[in-house]
Amino acid sequence: MIRSKKSLFIRYFFLILFSVVALFPMIYMISTSLKPNGALYEFPPKFFPNLDEITLNNYRYILGESRFIKNFLNSIYVSSLSVFIAAITSTALAFVLGQFKNRFTNMVFALLIVTMVIPGTTLIVPQFELAVWMNLINKLTALIPFYTVWVIPFSTFMIKGFMESIPKDIIDSAEIDGASIFKVFVNIAVPLASPGIASVTIFNFLSSWEEFPWANTVINDSNIRTLPIAITGFFGQHQFTQWGYVFALSMLSLLPILIIFISFQKFFISGLVAGGVKG
Amino acid sequence: MKLNNKSNRIQVGILMSPALLIFAIFTIIPIIRLFFMSFHEWNLSSMFEQSFIGIKNYKVVFKDNFFWTSFTNTIVYAIVTVPLQMLLGLIVAILIDGIKKMSVTFRILNYLPVITSWVIASLVFKYIFNTEGLLNYFISNILNIGNNNIHWLDNRWSGLWVIMFLGTWKGIGWNMVVFFAALQQVPKELYEASSLDGCKTIRTFFSITLPSIKPTILFAWVMLTIGAFNVYTSVKLMTNGAPAHKTETLLTWMYYKAFSTGEFGYSAALSFVMAFSLALIAVFQFKIISKKEN
Amino acid sequence: MKNKKLLSFLMIIMIASLSLTAQGSKDVSSNTDEIEINFWHHYSGESAENKTLTNVLIPEFEKENPNIKINAVSHEWSELHDKILISSSSKNLPDVARCDIAWLPEFQAMDILVPLDTEMSDFNTVSSSLLDSAMSTAFINNHYYGLALNTNSKIMYYNTQMLKDAGVVVPTTMNEWEKAVKKISGKNSKGQKIWGWNEPGLSAWNICPFIWSYGGAITNEEQTKASGYINSPESIKAVETFVSLYKEGALTGFNSGDIPMTDGFGTNRYAMMLEGPWKMAELKGAYPDLDYGTALIPAGDGGAISVLGGEDIAMFKGPHQDAAWKFMKFMTGEFAEEEMAKCGQLPVNKKALETDTVKNSDFAPYIEAIKTAKARPTVASSSKIDNELMVAMHEVLSGEKTVKEAMDDLAIKIDALL
Repeated sequence: MIRSKKSLFIRYFFLILFSVVALFPMIYMISTSLKPNGALYEFPPKFFPNLDEITLNNYRYILGESRFIKNFLNSIYVSSLSVFIAAITSTALAFVLGQFKNRFTNMVFALLIVTMVIPGTTLIVPQFELAVWMNLINKLTALIPFYTVWVIPFSTFMIKGFMESIPKDIIDSAEIDGASIFKVFVNIAVPLASPGIASVTIFNFLSSWEEFPWANTVINDSNIRTLPIAITGFFGQHQFTQWGYVFALSMLSLLPILIIFISFQKFFISGLVAGGVKG
Repeated sequence: MKLNNKSNRIQVGILMSPALLIFAIFTIIPIIRLFFMSFHEWNLSSMFEQSFIGIKNYKVVFKDNFFWTSFTNTIVYAIVTVPLQMLLGLIVAILIDGIKKMSVTFRILNYLPVITSWVIASLVFKYIFNTEGLLNYFISNILNIGNNNIHWLDNRWSGLWVIMFLGTWKGIGWNMVVFFAALQQVPKELYEASSLDGCKTIRTFFSITLPSIKPTILFAWVMLTIGAFNVYTSVKLMTNGAPAHKTETLLTWMYYKAFSTGEFGYSAALSFVMAFSLALIAVFQFKIISKKEN
Repeated sequence: MKNKKLLSFLMIIMIASLSLTAQGSKDVSSNTDEIEINFWHHYSGESAENKTLTNVLIPEFEKENPNIKINAVSHEWSELHDKILISSSSKNLPDVARCDIAWLPEFQAMDILVPLDTEMSDFNTVSSSLLDSAMSTAFINNHYYGLALNTNSKIMYYNTQMLKDAGVVVPTTMNEWEKAVKKISGKNSKGQKIWGWNEPGLSAWNICPFIWSYGGAITNEEQTKASGYINSPESIKAVETFVSLYKEGALTGFNSGDIPMTDGFGTNRYAMMLEGPWKMAELKGAYPDLDYGTALIPAGDGGAISVLGGEDIAMFKGPHQDAAWKFMKFMTGEFAEEEMAKCGQLPVNKKALETDTVKNSDFAPYIEAIKTAKARPTVASSSKIDNELMVAMHEVLSGEKTVKEAMDDLAIKIDALL
């Protein structure tokens, strides 16, 4: 279609406007993290710090004196292990639900969908009891099964779409060649569904990385805190908020997500959507 | 494929069992447990020996003014943020759909709020909206509107307004991506046919684009409504329910009752009221979806 | 292919993190002779107290008791209360915790604390080494459920320059205070709003000093009735003064959008506040150049009455009571109390009070304030009373109710809770 120059200009104008709104808070966060703590609540508040005022002290403090490295590794450990387990288990389940339709598998699928309606945090009380019963309180491992189970319904739902779209002839010919169900799953289904699996995995990584209420409830010890609770730990002790530290730590915790997202964005977005639109 | 022999059935069973086992232990059992709790007297003085009290917890929930405040707040949050972020996301998607250069860049920029964690976003918004913050400086010292700083976070509706603004800001990107993909899948012949007919852009949008992306709109609507009921972190970190529990949402109030006052029975009943309301809404939404598809 | 690249990337991250955390997560208490004692406290994570605890006190204790290992866990103040509640529901409590004195009655009612006077044979010896007044906070239903660990109260901090700029002397009576707070408030030379008084919350800890100093009370002496006390003319006058100062823009601090107390005081936005002894160390760390002074809370018709704070160290029902008791004795002993006094914790150990460290410290005003300070309601429902008080205060501040109406309703609610 041919667009007039004027309408193109309007499009770019509004797109820039939306992007500015989207970016503004983050830029303000970076700029505050570069200011000395004494410059907070300064007057007039400056969106950008003065050049001579810029300091890396907040970052130096976070990297040096606080437990940042420890918290960072905790987050990586918990998030990657939970998304890994979730990816394997939900792919296998999605394969069965997508390829073997009968009364039982339909019922299982319905059950998964129904529980998606119950917000995860409402179960926090009995899940907390369960964690205590399993002796998982104040242990990093406590986060993993719960992060996994929260993403299983959605992941299965998304990957099932890919499993259903595998051409029937491919599977039939493999079956005639005498391939077992395991073989079909590993050699045919997983490779064909891999865009879906991978995009769901990044999506899950994000939600585990930023999870707050559950981690805040079960984790006490500062050495095993994940990044979100490490950030809020800086916030509001004794009516005293060191915004510079808070934002420096926030920035550092956002960095890995930014890197992953920018490296894989094309593929991530397309994968997310392919499953979503089908649903 | 067929489940015609024992070996096949075993293999299928093995593939399904890990996910189902995790799901049963960590979701199904807690749901049953929560249901059980909601019918028992379960608070600080009866922490170790609970007695069955029928629907008393539910009665207490429905009589509690704070419950109705948090319920109203959650409904308002859903009614405002869900359509708003869908609309804005759709607008951005349409804008991006019409350009060639920098399409990827704009998609990345507008998606960044989605990947910013709730914790970080809430803290930044709190800093911007605090009474002595950047926004009030902009309003009273640069635009010169009013002498007094606005107490954004200290009243029920303005506090909720900030919370809803954050929710919308964070959700636009996700909607943009979903709608952008849907727009790409609208067959181009439809547009060409309509431009031959001499249709105007706006009419094209309502007669062709909108009907074609209807399934996506309904998908987003359902997902976002569930997400809206899940609002917790932003409230917890920005107002923590203040002033006087007027900005609590269902989840923050449930959490407060369970973990700050130890009324586990009450909070279990509240959880079920909440899940039930959401289920009703979801059934209603699915009804609309299936009606439209037939 | 991109998918493979992504998956291998994720694999690498995972393997790397697994190998890195593997060392850390190894079970340290595999040595069967070693007992691990979990100690929960609310010395804040980055504070001097916490550093003393982990770098001085615990190593010393572990040296004296090689078979006991202390696992100290820091929480935020309000979170510690909530987490003990959460944990009690599933009987997964710490062995020992440093509890705000206001929490003990609640925990005692839940039957999770160990009555020390009946369970520990040398209780009387230990208890006699601590101040009687402080030990009384652990005495509930005829038993002692904790040892006094430290005591505190609040005194007035004022910004010397701001008072001078406003031409105000340090107020000593509530009348002077009210006038001073109003006079200081307004705008500073940069056009920013400044407040005469900061009050960071609306709970009993914040409101009681005013009610008491104006001659009012929350409940009767026996703590069985609030009607006629919280809604007495004196209590109402205290609340009315507080509310009118807020409405005039002379007092703030409890709103979500307000500048946090320490930051506002340090950046010359709040001129005065009531705070505990920990604030001195905090100000020294964050705002070393600030010129401030301290004084007692201004006296009203009821005298100059501050609120009594402090912490007890309590033992929860668990398997390692002997080891836990050893740690409690250590923490209330002369050595630990003197070390903690160096970071602003007021000791309750009689010997520690006689040491030069304590005698030469800046505690003097606090020791004066404690002499007249009163304790908040020491009943099991104190957290709920706090919540009702907060809600009632907001009803008045937002103009929904008059002070009289709100306090009358509050009295009925507290009566029901007592």
